[in-house]
Amino acid sequence: MDQFIQLTIDALTLGSVYALIALGYTLVYGVLKLLNFAHGDVFMVGSFAGYGTFQVLGGANPKVPLWLFLSLVTLAGMAVCAGLGVVIERFAYRPLRDAPRIAPLISALGVSFFLSNSMQLLFGATPRNYDTFDIHEAVLYTSGFDIGDVHMPLLRVITILAAFVLMIVLWFLVNKTRTGKAMRATSYDREAASMMGIDIDKVIVFTFVLGSALAGAAGVFFALRVPTTVSIGFVAGLKGFTAAVIGGIGSIPGAMAGGLILGFAESYTQGYISTQWSDLFVFSLLIAFMIFRPQGLLGRADIRKV
Amino acid sequence: MSDSTPHGMHEGPAVGQDEWVARHGERSELRKGAFGALERRLRSVPWWAWLVLFLAGFSLLPVVEQGGYVREVAFSTVLYMLLALGLNVVVGWGGLLDLGYVAFYGIGAYAYALLDSPHYGIHLPVFVSVPAIAVIGAIVGLLLGLPSWRLTGDYLAIVTLFFLQLFQTITTNWQNVTGGPFGILNIDPFGAFGVNVQPEHGGVFAVAYLYIALGFFAVVFVALRFLNLSRTGRAWRSLREDPLAAEAMGMPVNRLKLLSFSFGAAVAALTGTLYAALYANVFPLTFYFVLLITVYTMVILGGSGSQAGVVAGAVIISPLLEMLRDASKSRVLFFLTLVVSLAVLSRRSRATAAMALSTLVFGFVVHAVCGGVHSSWIAGEHAGGLGGFVAHWVVVPAHLARWITPVSYIGVIAAALVCTMLRGRARLVALVPTLYLAAFVWENVMLSKPEPARYIVLGVILIGLMILRPNGLLGERRVEII
Amino acid sequence: MKKAIAFALAVLATAAVASSAQGSRTVAVSANAGYSCSKTITIPFVTPITGGAGFLGTEQVSWAKYAIKTLAPSLGLKIKLVVGDTPVEQGPTPATAVAQKYIGDPSVLGLLGPSTSGDVAATAKVFYAAHLAHISPSATRTDFTQGPASQREEYPTFFRDVPGDYIQGPSDANYMIKTLHVKKVVIMDFQEPYSLGLAAAVNTVLTKAGVSTIRLSAPNTTTDYSAYVTKVPSDADIVFFPTQKPGDANTFAQQLIEQGKKAKVFGGDGSDDSTQFKQPGSYVSNFAPDITGIKADAGIISGWKKDNPGKSVGSFGPPSYGAVQILMNAIKLACNQGHGTATRQSVLANMKKVSIKNWILGGSFKWSTKSNDPLNAKFYIFQIQSNGSYKLVG
Repeated sequence: MDQFIQLTIDALTLGSVYALIALGYTLVYGVLKLLNFAHGDVFMVGSFAGYGTFQVLGGANPKVPLWLFLSLVTLAGMAVCAGLGVVIERFAYRPLRDAPRIAPLISALGVSFFLSNSMQLLFGATPRNYDTFDIHEAVLYTSGFDIGDVHMPLLRVITILAAFVLMIVLWFLVNKTRTGKAMRATSYDREAASMMGIDIDKVIVFTFVLGSALAGAAGVFFALRVPTTVSIGFVAGLKGFTAAVIGGIGSIPGAMAGGLILGFAESYTQGYISTQWSDLFVFSLLIAFMIFRPQGLLGRADIRKV
Repeated sequence: MSDSTPHGMHEGPAVGQDEWVARHGERSELRKGAFGALERRLRSVPWWAWLVLFLAGFSLLPVVEQGGYVREVAFSTVLYMLLALGLNVVVGWGGLLDLGYVAFYGIGAYAYALLDSPHYGIHLPVFVSVPAIAVIGAIVGLLLGLPSWRLTGDYLAIVTLFFLQLFQTITTNWQNVTGGPFGILNIDPFGAFGVNVQPEHGGVFAVAYLYIALGFFAVVFVALRFLNLSRTGRAWRSLREDPLAAEAMGMPVNRLKLLSFSFGAAVAALTGTLYAALYANVFPLTFYFVLLITVYTMVILGGSGSQAGVVAGAVIISPLLEMLRDASKSRVLFFLTLVVSLAVLSRRSRATAAMALSTLVFGFVVHAVCGGVHSSWIAGEHAGGLGGFVAHWVVVPAHLARWITPVSYIGVIAAALVCTMLRGRARLVALVPTLYLAAFVWENVMLSKPEPARYIVLGVILIGLMILRPNGLLGERRVEII
Repeated sequence: MKKAIAFALAVLATAAVASSAQGSRTVAVSANAGYSCSKTITIPFVTPITGGAGFLGTEQVSWAKYAIKTLAPSLGLKIKLVVGDTPVEQGPTPATAVAQKYIGDPSVLGLLGPSTSGDVAATAKVFYAAHLAHISPSATRTDFTQGPASQREEYPTFFRDVPGDYIQGPSDANYMIKTLHVKKVVIMDFQEPYSLGLAAAVNTVLTKAGVSTIRLSAPNTTTDYSAYVTKVPSDADIVFFPTQKPGDANTFAQQLIEQGKKAKVFGGDGSDDSTQFKQPGSYVSNFAPDITGIKADAGIISGWKKDNPGKSVGSFGPPSYGAVQILMNAIKLACNQGHGTATRQSVLANMKKVSIKNWILGGSFKWSTKSNDPLNAKFYIFQIQSNGSYKLVG
C-alpha cells in the first residue's frame, strides 16, 4: 500500500510536468497543424534559464523569501522560453507556413538539433543541479504532510499545485478571452478566420508564447528536483508529445489527461513490472494506441473535406 | 518561394494550363553562348556514364592518398551515400517522414553480427547472409509501414521515432542476444570460398572494403534508378504530389507507402552489413538520433527525390563533418566558404562586392583598435593556417572572459536574424559587422569545441535549406499548382 | 542559381581537398618505420571532452597538458598533444574514426586513452594491428587484462595505469561487508558497460558473503529516479550506484532522504566529483587517493592550479599525468635504444620497462608482471562529510 501511494505521488509529479509539455504541443498543433519537434529543447532551455536565475538569486541561500524566490525562478524560465518560442516561430516556421507539410517538420528537427548543440557549446554538457535540497536545511524535502506512512514533501506539493494553476490559467485564456476565441477560430479554419478579420500572425505568435512559457515552467519544475543537462530535451519532448497524442492532439483537456496517464503508466510499470523494460512497455503501448485510436482519448477524428 | 506570381506577362497561358506552370520552362531555359553549348553537351551525357565516371573517380582516391584515415573517411562516405539513397526512397519518392530509418541500418548490422560472428558461433556464408538480411530489413520495414495504413504524415513520423526508441531499448537491454551496451565484437569480415577480406593491414584500413562498398553502391544505385523509372516509381511520384488525387485515380495508396518503406529499409539493412563487416563490432548508440539527422541533412541538402542529389549531399556532408573535427581544417573551411560565397555573389552585384571589401577593412580596423587598447586582446593562440591572415584580421584574446562566449554567440545569431529581416542597402550594411562577428565566434568559440560545432552546422544547414531552397542543391524545383 | 551553386561547390571542393591533403601528408605507417626523436612527436588523447562525460575528459586533458609542459623538456622530447573527442552519447563510433586518423600519422608513436571502456573495446584491435601502444588512465573494465580466457578481450598494446574493476568491485564490496556490516544492498546499473561490469563485480562478492542483494536496472537516459527510490526497501543499508553522472548519485541520495529511507548511496569512480556528488554520508570509491594529501605532489598541484585557475583537483586528472609520464618515458627509452630514432614497435617494447619512483598517486609505480596493469594498485574509499569534502575512510 505504501508503495502504491508513493508511486502515485511520483506519477502525479511526473504527470504534471508531462502535461505542461504536452499542452505546448497541442496548442501549436491545434493552430498550425505543425509537430514542433523543437519543443522539448525549449523545455531544456527553460530549465537552464531557471538555473541561472536560481544562482543569481542566491542559490541555496535565497536572498528573497522562499515563495518569491520560487516564483521568480519559474517566471524567468517562462519568460526566456516565451521569447525563444517567438523567435523560433518567426524565423524557422513562418517562412514555411505554406510549404509542403514535410518542410516545417524538417526545419523543426533542425531547430531542435541546433538548440541542444548550441546550449552544449555555450554551457557544456555538465549536469546542472539546482541545490533545492540545501535551501534552509532541506525544508522543501522534509516539511509537507504524511499520507499513512508515506511522506509528501513540500516541493512536490508546490510543483503539482503550480502546474495545475498554470493549466487553469491556460484554460481561462483560451476559453474566456477574445484572443483565446481567435485562437480557437484559427485552429478550426485558418483561412476563414483570417477573412473574419483575425490577425493570424498575431494569434500564432500568441500560441507560441503560451506553449513555450508552459514548457519553460515545466523545465523549471522538473529541474528543481533532478539535475538537468543539455540533452534532456529529446526524451522530454518525446514524452510530452506522446502525452499530447494519448489525450488527442489539439485538445487542451486531452493534453492534461494524457500527461497524467503517461505519468501513471510510467510510474506503475517501473514500480510493479520492470524498471529495465519500462520504456519498452510505454512505447509499445503508445504505438498500439496510435495505430488503433490515432485521434486520442478526447480528440475528434480528423475528417477532411476536399 | 516569393516569386510565385511573375510580373510582366506577355502572353497568356494556354487554356487549362496554370500560368506559373506554363512559365516554368521559360524560367529554366538554358543559357546561350559557349557555356550554354557546354551545358547542353553535358546534359546529353547519359546517367550511366556519369555513374561510371563518379565510381572511377572514387576508386582512384585510395591510389592518390595512401593513409588509412582518408580511406576510412571515403568508406564511411560510401556508407552515407547508400543510406541517403535508401532514405531518398522513403522521403523523396514516398513522401513519408521516416524517423526510424537508422534503426533499419542497425537491424542490418546486428543481424549480420548475429549470423556471422563467434557470438553464437554461426558463420553463414556472406552470399547467404547479406541477401537474407536485406530481405529481413524489407520485411521489418513492411511491418513498420503497416501503421501508415491508418496514419497520416505527422503521426507516422512519431510512430517511426518510437520504433527507433524501441530498437535502442531492445538492443541495450536484451543482453543475452544483442550483448547489450557491450555490443557484439569480433564480427567476421566479408569473405568467400574460405578467403576472408581482412578489414585492415597493420592497423591501416584495407582498401578492398572501399571497393566492396562501391560495388554495393553501384548495384543499389542502378536498381533504384530502374525502380524509379518503373510503374511503381511513377505511382510514388503521383502519391507524393497529391495522395488524395492518387487514391481517387485508383492507386493502391497504402500498398505503395508500404513498398517505399520496405525498399528504404532493405537498403539500410544492406548498408548495415557493410558497417558490421568492416568495423567488426556493433553497439546500440551508433544507430541513433545524431546519425538520423546527419542522413536527413544529406538528403535534404542534395535535394530529396534526386538520386544524384542525395549522393552529392553525402559526398559534401560526410567529409565536411570530418574536417570540422579538426580546428585548422575547420578554420580554412569557414573562411573559404565565406570568401567563395561572397565572390560568387559579388559577380552579380557591385554592392555586394563593396560590402565584402568593407568587411575586410572593418576587420583590420577592429583588430588595430583592439590591439591598441590592450595587447592581450589580440594575443591569443593562432594555429597557423591561411598564411597568418587570420592572425591580423580576427581578434583572438589571450584569455576569453566567461561572458564573451554566450554574448558573442547569441549576438551573432541575433545579428544574422536581423539581417534576414532587412532589405536592400540596410541589409548589406548590417552584414559587415555580422560577418566579422561570425568570424570572431568561429575562431574563439566554435573551434575549441568541435563536437557541438559540427552539429550546429548541420542544424543551420537544415533550417536554412528548408527556408531558402527546399528542393536542395540539385533537386528539381517542384512545380506546384495550388 | 543552380549554376552559381555548382560553381561555388566545385571551387570549395578543390580548395578543401588541396588544403586537407597539404595538412596531412600521410602514408601507411609501418610499425618499424623510424621516426627521428628530434622532431615533434604527437601524443593524441582519445577522450570525451564534450557530451555527458565531458567533465572527465576536460580534467584529464588539463593534467596531460601540464605533464607535457613540465616533463617533456627534462626528457629532451618535443611533444604536441592533440585531443580526439569521443562524446559518450554517440557510442564508440567517434573513437574508431579518430583511431584511423592517428594510426595514419607517422608522428604518433603511442597514445593516451581511450578513456572509456566502451571505446577501448571498439579500438583495441586496430591499435594492436598497428602495434601502437595506448595507455588509458581511466578504462577500468576487468576483461581487458584479467578474468577467464573465454571472456577476455586482451590485446598486448593496451595498458592502464589504474587498477580495474577486478579490484574496485571486491574492495567496495569488502568495505561494505567488513566495515559497514551490511545486511541488504540494492545494486543499480545504468545499462552501459561501465556500470554493468562494476555492478556484477560487487554483486558476486556480496552474494558470496551471504548479503542479500536487489538488482535494479535503469536506462542510461533516466533523469528522475523517484520510482527506483520507491523500490529501495526501508531496511536496505546501501544503494550501490555505479554511475558516470555524479549529479544523479546526488539526486538519488536526496530522494532517499525525501522518502525517509535510511540507505546510503555508494558510488564508484565514475561518480567521484566533489562539485556534483556532495550529499553528506554517501560513499565514493576511486583508484586514486586524494593527491592533495601527498606531500611530494605539492609542487605539481600548485603548478597545475596556476595553469588552471579556479579548478579543483579531481581524481581523473592525476592518473592522466601519470599516463603521460609513462608514455614519454617509454618513448625516451625507445629513442635511446634506437640512437635517436624510435619506432612504434620499440615504444611498445619499452612500455613495460618503465618504472617511476615518485608516482603522483603516492609511492612508486611498477607494472604487474602478469598483465598490463599496475602492480599492487588499490582502490580508495571516501565518505562525504557534512561540508561536502571527501574523507578517506578505507
